Amino acid sequence: MKFKVESCETFKIVPRKSYFVPSNMNSLVEFFSFTDPNIRFVVIGSVLLTASSAIVGSFTFLNKKSLVGDAIAHAVLPGICLGFILSGTKNPIYLIGGAFITGWISLVFVEFITSRTRIKEDTAIGLTLSVFFGIGILLLTVIQKSGNAAQTGLDSFLFGKAAALVGRDLYTFATVAVVLLISVFLLFKEFSLLAFDKDYAKAIGLPVKRIELVLTSLIVLAVVIGIQAVGVVLMAAILITPAAAARFWTDKIKVMFMLASVFGAFSGLTGAYISYVAPSMPTGPWIVIVISVIAFVSFFLAPRRGVISRLMRQYTIRKTINDENVLKALYQLGEENKNFFIQRYPDEIIRRRKFEKENLMKVLKRLKGQGYVERTGNLWGLTEEGKSRGQRVVKIHRLWELYLTTHLHIAPDHVHEDADTIEHLLTPELEAELEKILDYPSVDPHKSEIPYK
Amino acid sequence: MIMEDKSITMQPALEIHDLTVAFDRKPVLWDIDLTLPQGKLVGIIGPNGAGKSTLIKAVMGLLPLSSGYVKLFDQPIDEVRKRISYVPQRESVDWDFPASVLDIVMMGRYGKLGLFKSPRKADRDVAFDCLKKVGMESFANRQISQLSGGQQQRTFLARALAQQADIYFMDEPFAGVDAATEKAIINLLRTMTEARKTVVVVHHDLQSVPQYFDWVIMLNTRLVAVGPTESTFNQHNLQETYGGKLTLLADVADLIRRESYPSREGSNR
Repeated sequence: MKFKVESCETFKIVPRKSYFVPSNMNSLVEFFSFTDPNIRFVVIGSVLLTASSAIVGSFTFLNKKSLVGDAIAHAVLPGICLGFILSGTKNPIYLIGGAFITGWISLVFVEFITSRTRIKEDTAIGLTLSVFFGIGILLLTVIQKSGNAAQTGLDSFLFGKAAALVGRDLYTFATVAVVLLISVFLLFKEFSLLAFDKDYAKAIGLPVKRIELVLTSLIVLAVVIGIQAVGVVLMAAILITPAAAARFWTDKIKVMFMLASVFGAFSGLTGAYISYVAPSMPTGPWIVIVISVIAFVSFFLAPRRGVISRLMRQYTIRKTINDENVLKALYQLGEENKNFFIQRYPDEIIRRRKFEKENLMKVLKRLKGQGYVERTGNLWGLTEEGKSRGQRVVKIHRLWELYLTTHLHIAPDHVHEDADTIEHLLTPELEAELEKILDYPSVDPHKSEIPYK
Repeated sequence: MIMEDKSITMQPALEIHDLTVAFDRKPVLWDIDLTLPQGKLVGIIGPNGAGKSTLIKAVMGLLPLSSGYVKLFDQPIDEVRKRISYVPQRESVDWDFPASVLDIVMMGRYGKLGLFKSPRKADRDVAFDCLKKVGMESFANRQISQLSGGQQQRTFLARALAQQADIYFMDEPFAGVDAATEKAIINLLRTMTEARKTVVVVHHDLQSVPQYFDWVIMLNTRLVAVGPTESTFNQHNLQETYGGKLTLLADVADLIRRESYPSREGSNR
């Protein structure tokens, strides 16, 4: 961790275009009016970089290879440094070339270690990642001490610097990003089949090895250009997080990819803006914070898959179970008296079935609101509707007990608890099927009468 | 039957010669030799760990062979991929994948479509038709994560049908399927074999073997017997197949792995 602080301090960060730091409101207007061509460059650049990384990264996510992106991201650093040392310039072609080569070598390493030794993939990734990153930092320090004037700004590959995206460099990066997008578009159906069922892809004769080679190259390329915006250390986040966030919102693969690219692009845009108002600030962390907030919000708020929606569903189910248990108890009391509409004190209900008093009162009030029970003072009794709902629960309970004993040959003293769950769950269709299978029996295994309407 | 081009119809659907397959150096199938005629419904039976799935995967070229060769319609598999269809085990994939039932069945068309091309309406029609054959047409737009086990199985079956192949390899297509669906599937496979398709099925339930299959392959790490069901599926062969492992054979296989021996001289695997 220490080196990061050092490198930030030692490297003099000189933005190519010296922006003054204006007041926030002005800068916002100025930035988003896109009148300054440099701003246009930076915006287009960072949006393209993050969106294409997010799209390619969605496949690593679906392939359950999220960590691989992290390995590549760290492994490109020595490549960038070597590219610089050998060429002596920061021409992006050399840097991308170097990064591409070491990125690929790292994957070959991981593959070699997992196939030839007993070491598992996660360990192999960890080993490779740290070795390559270590070498990268070493080379970076060597370059920095060499006194080569051209080296300023190389450190922006550590944490990213969107504002450095200007002019000629941008064309290189944008071209790569467009190549990525076109490749994904052309091979979309193959990539998704491989992610879902690789054996089947082989079986129907797709050139799986070659497709995988292409996909891996795309991932390496996405990392190589993405680090311009977010830096080596945080690259994995921009590959994986947009896909993970998008997955919460949809079950359709195309929608997922579109959402992922929009999330990625939005975070890239924010990064570019931050980079503009505060040139000395590394862009990467900001982009990652924005995309993480999006993921966090998705995690909680997404319909169906989100945590809150799940909790709500569970809460509703619990409420239904409570309601129906009270109606059932009232119905069973009614059976004993052969009168379903007698009103009773809550304590009488509790004697029939154990409820917490406080909870019972809450449920009774709720049921009254729904028209299932009526009250007179502290006396509570079923309405016609309440009776028929209670009756249905009791009926399903007894039918299920009978079904378990006759069709599954389970002992009659074992079936009660199963039936207690099933009685709240069964749909009307399954209820009808159950009645038919059992041919409308009149009593359950405990000789209790099964009530029909 | 019409005696058309005899050389084509008499070609064996599948020929396996001296096939040995090893996992982590340990042989799991030893020296299998067999030939299957076209147009038969063939069951592969044997106890757990007998190598039934391995045999299918080896034939499909999904596993490296330690020795031997496989030919389909007298040709190496890579020459005839378009004529071969595969139903993998249901558990071999993650069903929590963002795709609909129709998306999965469409995958059966990818081999014929080739790279870069998107499916056309004709492909969609074939896929939908195959869904109908397995009684899943009303689930076409259902997310696959919401399917029951039997529905997943039928989706895979429809995907294989969409390949419109001549030989089908199915790895336990009846696992998790209810009795009525199993009957429907068997009837479907019957109509396929009547149209001279060959269907090879890994099967578990011995009771239904004589009723379902024209031919059986009886397997227990080695080939015990292969042939028409009525002459092959007998007490003697069953005893041989299910009568326990050949302990010596299993011990030798373990030894090969422990000592890091190649299972064939001059081979790496």
